[in-house]
Amino acid sequence: MIKDTSIEIRWHGRGGQGAVTSAELIALAAIHEGKFAQAFPSFGPERRGAPVLAFNRIDAENPIRIRSGVTKPDIVVVLDPGLVTLINVTDGLKPGGCLVVNSTRTVEDLQQEFSGDWKLAVVDAASIARELLGVNIVNTTMVGALLKASEAVKFDSLKAPLGERFGARAGANFEACMRAYNSTAISQITTTGTKKPKSFAVEKMPGWRELLVGCMVTEPGNTKRFGTGDWKSQHPVWDDKKCIKCGICSLVCPEGCIKPNNEGYYRANLFYCKGCGMCAHECWTQAIKMVEGT
Amino acid sequence: MTSKRIGIESSLAVSEAVKLANVDVIAAYPITPQTHIVESLAEMVANGKLDAEYIPVESEHSAMSACLGSCAVGARTFTATASQGLILMHEVLLVAASLRLPIVMAVANRALSGPLNIWGDHSDAMITRDAGWIQIFIENGQQAFDQVLCAFRIAEHPDVLLPTIINIDGFHVSHVIEPVYILDQKSVDEFLPPYKHPRPLDPDDPITMGCFAAPNLYTEARRALDASVRASKTVILDTWKKYGDLTGRYYNPVEKYKADGAETILVTMGSYSENAMIAIDDLQDQGKKIGLVRLRLWRPFPYEEIQEALSSAKNVIVLDRAISLGGPAPVCSEIRAALYTLDKKPQVASVVGGLGGRDISPDNFKTLIDVAMGKLKAGETQEIIMFGVRE
Repeated sequence: MIKDTSIEIRWHGRGGQGAVTSAELIALAAIHEGKFAQAFPSFGPERRGAPVLAFNRIDAENPIRIRSGVTKPDIVVVLDPGLVTLINVTDGLKPGGCLVVNSTRTVEDLQQEFSGDWKLAVVDAASIARELLGVNIVNTTMVGALLKASEAVKFDSLKAPLGERFGARAGANFEACMRAYNSTAISQITTTGTKKPKSFAVEKMPGWRELLVGCMVTEPGNTKRFGTGDWKSQHPVWDDKKCIKCGICSLVCPEGCIKPNNEGYYRANLFYCKGCGMCAHECWTQAIKMVEGT
Repeated sequence: MTSKRIGIESSLAVSEAVKLANVDVIAAYPITPQTHIVESLAEMVANGKLDAEYIPVESEHSAMSACLGSCAVGARTFTATASQGLILMHEVLLVAASLRLPIVMAVANRALSGPLNIWGDHSDAMITRDAGWIQIFIENGQQAFDQVLCAFRIAEHPDVLLPTIINIDGFHVSHVIEPVYILDQKSVDEFLPPYKHPRPLDPDDPITMGCFAAPNLYTEARRALDASVRASKTVILDTWKKYGDLTGRYYNPVEKYKADGAETILVTMGSYSENAMIAIDDLQDQGKKIGLVRLRLWRPFPYEEIQEALSSAKNVIVLDRAISLGGPAPVCSEIRAALYTLDKKPQVASVVGGLGGRDISPDNFKTLIDVAMGKLKAGETQEIIMFGVRE
């Protein structure tokens, strides 16, 4: 358990998963307890499925004046399992800090991915959310896992903000939160992970003299390299027996990444597919199923 | 070089300059507050006297948007507006600068609402100050003609590539018929090379213009734009030198009128400078040690030239034809800032007048100078003097 008068939390999620809501709930609970707290998102071109950040600061005694992003968090919470290998989620995580991850993997297995003096807390939040809430939105569930790993706020302090935020669905969300609290497994990362720590590319940004006139981009179509497929948590799978080759899936795909193969059956290019599920929703013959994973 | 002296409304002299510049595209909204500039250009295009696209649009916002597109494909582009029309353009004005598109625009400076008023003052130019456009002020019809031609050469210069506004005082210049020397086509063609954008929009060689810049790039983009606006002064000076050599009419960022050795200097911008000259003549005849300095280049702001022109004066009186509500008058604010680093600083009195079409005649200028001198002698230079306001 982390005990300090001041705690900083960084939330990693994807647009639509509710990381911002998680941070808001924690801050409102802390303020309800009479503490000082902040919750804020990272402001950017986030869209549903894109990696996003949210932040918390909690101080039991002093007003919080800092208005910059959290770069040296005490706690990192990862709402989407896929982000662990995509983003350096432990960047700046303080020694003795805590990493809380939504994953179907066991804590013993997952800790091989990391090396550092941290606690690792793991919960299968997706399963809990889907069972109790009917959707894969793990914001409230991961709040439960966080509270198991730290005393950021008292569990009961969540009731009021949950009620206000979720109304009729507050009960189910509180239950998901509670279930996660009870099923979160925690382990100290004792040794350096056996896997070589993944290295994450740092983008080199140009100086002002290097910019072209009017910041024009002279390389057309370079967004082709941008793998929006990283954003998905589910992907479409076709049952060709049911497919009537009508092509409606291809028409409704907002990414334009569904095309027929040589036999005329449709497939999504998973490098670009964001897993929105519109193809499955619109398919006349229900030949498309959305399946977990990228 | 040959030129023809004709009597012409200054707005139409601007149109003649645009025609001589062989502009490719004019996009404009034709309703008040507009001038005869685009009206006569529309006629020229319709009558086959000017081979250009004239795009009538549904608002000034659209006018500037159309200009953006045409300039980006490499077409020489012109528009004109004023007052509320200019501020309706605003969103796109800033984009034009940031995309480095050398659109040339004549602004017949007028007041802004409210109360509703479309008579002359500099409110529209001042609110456009930070948009990244080069801004030049003129004082009469001849200068309007000259500076529009210079503007195309400045804006489109490969070292500049910035949109440029020629500020022409609404009514006091825009609607006045006066003698203007119109240059011959051959001289204009020699003075004004064709516009060539380094990488225009082209389906066969596509590029992207107008990307967004996240916090990790926006600062660099703004720094680059600021540097380009500042650096444009070199080309402005060179262009004015070449134009002077061609026509005998030389222009400078800051222009003095009987200001050498003057104890007190009046600073003006735009057409009221000519009224001020008459007042200065009379006052000097009476033995008063007062001169005039006229600010021609508003952006980039000519700090060195202002310092040089004003540093030896004891008193400076700055006339603004716009008001920054609750703050210092815009031109005076810049001048005070320019003088701040000098060891020996003149006292500066700030006068706001000539708002919303109110005249400042040569006699009024003498009164204005008297009032300002009174405040300077009393050391009361903190407050803005609202010239001619009824109590």
